Amino acid sequence: MHKPNRIILDAAIATAVVAVMGIARGVYSNELMLFNFIMFLTLAQGLNIIYGFTGYLPFGYVGFYGAGAYGFSLVVMHLHVPAMVGMVAAGVAALVLGVILLPLLRLSGAYFAIASMAAAQAVYEIVANLDLESVTKGPYGVSLSDVFAPATSYYVALAILAGTLFLVVWLRNSRFGMSLQAIRDDSVSAAMAGVSVVRGRTIAWLLSASIAGLVGGVFAWHISVFYPDTAFDLSVSIFSTVFLLFGGATTLSGPLLGVFILYGIYNVIGIAVPQYFQFTYGALIVLLVLFLPNGLVSLLTNRGIRVP
Amino acid sequence: MKSKLLAVGMLLAAGSVQAQPSAPAEIKVGALYASSGPYASISMPVFDGFKLWVDQVNAGGGVEVKAFGKKIPLKLIAYDDQSSTATAATLYNQLITQDHVDLLIADSGSVLTSVGVPIAKEHKQFLFDVSGTGAAFFTDDNPYVALMADPVSTIWPHYISDFLGDEGAKAGIKTVAILYSTNDFTGTQAAALKGFFERDGKVKVVYYQGVPTSTSNYTVLINNIAALNPDAVLELGYVGNDIAFLRNLQDSGNQFKFVFSIYAGTEKEEIEKNVGVSALTNIYSYVPPSNYVYKPEVGMTQQEFHAAWDKKYPPGSGVAFGANAVYGYMTGLVVEQTLATTKSLDQMDIHNAVFALSGKLKTLDGTFELRKDGAQIGEVTPLGQLQPAGKDELNLIAVYPPDLANGKAVIGK
Amino acid sequence: MLIGAIVAGVVFGLYYTLVGLGLNLVFGVMRIVNLAHGDFLMLGGISAWFLFTSFGLNPFVSVGLVVVVFLLVGLPIYYLVVPRLLRSRDSEMLSLILFFGISQMIEAVTTIGLGATERSLPPRLLGVGPMVILGTRLPKAWIFSAAASAIAVLLVYVYLYRTRLGTLTRAVMVSREEALATGIDVNFVSAVAFGVSLALAGVAGVFAPFILGSITPNMGVAINITAFAVIVVGTLGNPLGTLLGGIIYGVSLMLMQTYLSSWANLLPNLLLIAVLLIRPEGILGRKTRRA
Repeated sequence: MHKPNRIILDAAIATAVVAVMGIARGVYSNELMLFNFIMFLTLAQGLNIIYGFTGYLPFGYVGFYGAGAYGFSLVVMHLHVPAMVGMVAAGVAALVLGVILLPLLRLSGAYFAIASMAAAQAVYEIVANLDLESVTKGPYGVSLSDVFAPATSYYVALAILAGTLFLVVWLRNSRFGMSLQAIRDDSVSAAMAGVSVVRGRTIAWLLSASIAGLVGGVFAWHISVFYPDTAFDLSVSIFSTVFLLFGGATTLSGPLLGVFILYGIYNVIGIAVPQYFQFTYGALIVLLVLFLPNGLVSLLTNRGIRVP
Repeated sequence: MKSKLLAVGMLLAAGSVQAQPSAPAEIKVGALYASSGPYASISMPVFDGFKLWVDQVNAGGGVEVKAFGKKIPLKLIAYDDQSSTATAATLYNQLITQDHVDLLIADSGSVLTSVGVPIAKEHKQFLFDVSGTGAAFFTDDNPYVALMADPVSTIWPHYISDFLGDEGAKAGIKTVAILYSTNDFTGTQAAALKGFFERDGKVKVVYYQGVPTSTSNYTVLINNIAALNPDAVLELGYVGNDIAFLRNLQDSGNQFKFVFSIYAGTEKEEIEKNVGVSALTNIYSYVPPSNYVYKPEVGMTQQEFHAAWDKKYPPGSGVAFGANAVYGYMTGLVVEQTLATTKSLDQMDIHNAVFALSGKLKTLDGTFELRKDGAQIGEVTPLGQLQPAGKDELNLIAVYPPDLANGKAVIGK
Repeated sequence: MLIGAIVAGVVFGLYYTLVGLGLNLVFGVMRIVNLAHGDFLMLGGISAWFLFTSFGLNPFVSVGLVVVVFLLVGLPIYYLVVPRLLRSRDSEMLSLILFFGISQMIEAVTTIGLGATERSLPPRLLGVGPMVILGTRLPKAWIFSAAASAIAVLLVYVYLYRTRLGTLTRAVMVSREEALATGIDVNFVSAVAFGVSLALAGVAGVFAPFILGSITPNMGVAINITAFAVIVVGTLGNPLGTLLGGIIYGVSLMLMQTYLSSWANLLPNLLLIAVLLIRPEGILGRKTRRA
């Protein structure tokens, strides 16, 4: 396939997903479930940017999500600004946390994954601390009934999803994205070929962090009542990671497939019999890692077929 | 006999069918529960108690609905939120928007109820809040919530401070330490207690410390408290906290004149299994409706309910009988009385019917009484003490206030 | 209060050494992270509870049974999962995810089978009342749990440094490839190490009700985070370093609980990040790990 055609296919998929999620709201009335789909579609792609393109897998990805949720809540609660300003604060909060955690990129593999998880836990312990009750409401949680606007926040979430999808389309088809993948595959050769390893990783890391922060912010806005353990729930990281790996990282369609299939099953079966679902989920992960470590799309890529 | 009843029922039904021709085939009741996670131990007994009521009603042909003048079977639609507020939020939405339930019952406890309050308000659906006592849920601008089965946290603990200021002071109690878990339920009670003590000025608060609800080790905290040598120690936590605290307290060998823990009484059977009789002897606690006999005007008495519970859920099969079981059943009774009086299934009519019960409904949980904003202010539980009764057995004796007491407090180490 | 906190910290730290030890052994030998370690610990606790409530077995007796059963269960799990995992491109990373899946399965099965309520053993089984050490009153149950931990650490030392299997195990720890080249049955050595690791988790589980109050099916994750902190502080891949990590963790936790209790839970996370950033090879580590 020629390069322009590839970009068109990628963009068409991204547009279709956004359109489907936009139309779905008019058809299906459990808005919160659709909203959760949008959140995980975005988070899986956000994680794709750092893992798929650089090979770093932050287990504590939820830390940015939580930082965004609290960034939003704090400015809305204390400064009484409009929700859109809160969204900016959400992105900024996650970005700042990303900058603070930049040194973690010196670590590799499991060390990085664990350290990022500890970092997310640490931010949680700070936010949820009783001594900061006057600032963050501590463990007693946040209530933002003043800005509660389910419809508007739904479309803002959709816009964030659109932005993220097109960012991934761009990464997949740009020189910058290619150089990131070169770093992932062999950082030494990439550096020798003149690619700025540190700069590339840093940009991917901060992009990925900001996306999670924006999702966290729009979550806070949409749900309006939440506790710190909800905003820093480790299962946000875990779900996003599993969706991403199930579908296949570095591609656009892999994480999308992962969310639609797994989160779809979760909502159909998981609600009725969660423990049996939890068991199946666990088993699926084990089988996946052992037999299909590069995700569903590797069924095609292994045969030399390019997957969007 | 059966056909006669049926005939009477049909006659009754026929009389009113003309007025309300569109009676539904079933009344849909939506509920959430948590089968796993940190809130499972308070959620499952509530849910099982509620289910017991549903089955009982359906075995009798359904619930009497005044609006249609006949008995209609209940259909319980229940989902498992696994103690996750995010899942619970989706499920509250599911019950309202997809299942179109007629009546919405919250999961137990403040945390899992919290997300339901704004969702119910947004969809103008009345929320039967079983035991979410968080003060923030109840505001004058939200008619779509009422607290069923236990009093709002800000008034619940006042017998503790009254007792300590009265009989406690006479027995030489001058200082108190308060150790609480930082969640809505226990945090609010701790703050209220501190306020009561400071207002009354009879007992001095020498230690006031919040710890995360996940705390599982109290040895050092107990040593710190012991270093201040307070006369009374109040530990306010969830079931897991109370188990760890009471075990660590016994292990540490420290003794205080007065020790209070919420679940020692509220979930006596559960705590006894985990802590043992000796560590619980003379501990103070609330006397929940599962251990105190009120004279109900509606529904089963406590003994009848306990027997029905043991029949349906044989001891040892998992969920133990306790206050939360009563709360679930009691919520069912409120629903029953509401349907028996509401003009229609319109959610504001349901609100009016629930509030009309206030002060009049007497169940095995005491007198149901609502503040205008939906907070429960009746059903305040007496203060009790776990006193030895024979070998290896404890009785939870109500010791305060005097008009509810059925025994005397033993104060001392 | 200061001495009290330190004494309690050392005792508590010994228990946490036991919690982290198995995790570290597996990492050292296989370079994988067993994210289900905390869940195996939980299973150990459940076993002790079951053996006591059904057969009246004292935990000191059930410990023996748990060790044997967990060791034997570890072997097939190893052969089913680990060799295949180690052949993949990024096994260290993928192990986190794979064992997370196993952890989910264990948690689900336990919840289905037993429900989610707290379970515990009567405290009297390990003796009621305090014991005084250096003027500090500590629960008897703690002392016994710490003593059991110390014995387990000692046995692991004997296994690693005084047996032929241990010598082979250490050879695999240094380099799996070289060990393979010299004809060591790497898979067998690793499988035993995996079994030993599960047995250690099981022992820690038996004593968990006495240290942590009670056990619930979902306690695994929290245990894992602490265990990570302990082994990272004490040097990843060096089982005996775990002892140092455990005691540093225990003492600083008790100091925090005494003087700054509301921030105590922040500690393991900060310790972990700080050690990883300042001295990623751990306190005892030599600079051999490629970062």
